[in-house]
Amino acid sequence: MMNTKTFAVLGFAAIVSACTDIQDKTVDRQFGGKQDLSNLVAGIWIDPNGCQHWIIDDGLEGYLSARLDRYGKPVCTDAYPTGYAIGSYKDGQDIADFL
Amino acid sequence: MFALGGAIMALGLMAGSASAQNVVNGERYVPGIWVDPDGCEHWVMDDGAEGYMTPHTTREGIPVCRRVNTCAVMNSDQLFATGSARISAAGRARLEQFFRSAGAVAYSINGHTDSRGSDEYNMALSLRRANAVAAIAKSVGARLGSVRGYGERQPIASNSTAAGMAKNRRVEIQCIR
Repeated sequence: MMNTKTFAVLGFAAIVSACTDIQDKTVDRQFGGKQDLSNLVAGIWIDPNGCQHWIIDDGLEGYLSARLDRYGKPVCTDAYPTGYAIGSYKDGQDIADFL
Repeated sequence: MFALGGAIMALGLMAGSASAQNVVNGERYVPGIWVDPDGCEHWVMDDGAEGYMTPHTTREGIPVCRRVNTCAVMNSDQLFATGSARISAAGRARLEQFFRSAGAVAYSINGHTDSRGSDEYNMALSLRRANAVAAIAKSVGARLGSVRGYGERQPIASNSTAAGMAKNRRVEIQCIR
């Protein structure tokens, strides 16, 4: 049941929350970094088991996501030392940031 | 502010339907899509200072990819006799040449069969064949990723025709760059 009181509360909340709620999480709002998250440049981080993850340092945000083969299995090799990140993944660096 | 936002959502849902049993106390997160260098999609979200990312997979756990990242597909008939995991001399020469020139950091090898024979037999045969190809890669100094046998479980063509079955009898080589 919707009554006028509920409407009033919802309306007030919409005004207040419009100031701070970030509904669209697909855009970077921080200093530096890419504005469009689909253009991020990734490096590779090797976990302690030797399996690879995409690593992205986009200014303030950091992203990490598993590298999977076409069957959904993790991509793992001994080609790189474990616990290291390789590649040019530090993209929008306006602020000093050490790994 | 976050507490207020959550409470409002619950109120809204209850007000919308008098018979609603579940009250969802949540915050809306709409993801974007990032495509990795292999061509596979990841969900990505930016919440101001924090960033979040996770692979986009189907409910079966298969990654959603815009292109297929297979370096080479070797037809099993050109490498092995029926039911065998011994590689012919010509096949060995071809594989050695491939692994010397492909230039990847490492190689993952996946063996596949057609649907004739039992599932168990095909799982074992495809793994023995993948291992045979992996041994040649190792012999010329190539690094290996995973070596797996999928048997008849991952067909790329219909097993109801001879041509389809021939396509399914294969060893896939993934180049890890």
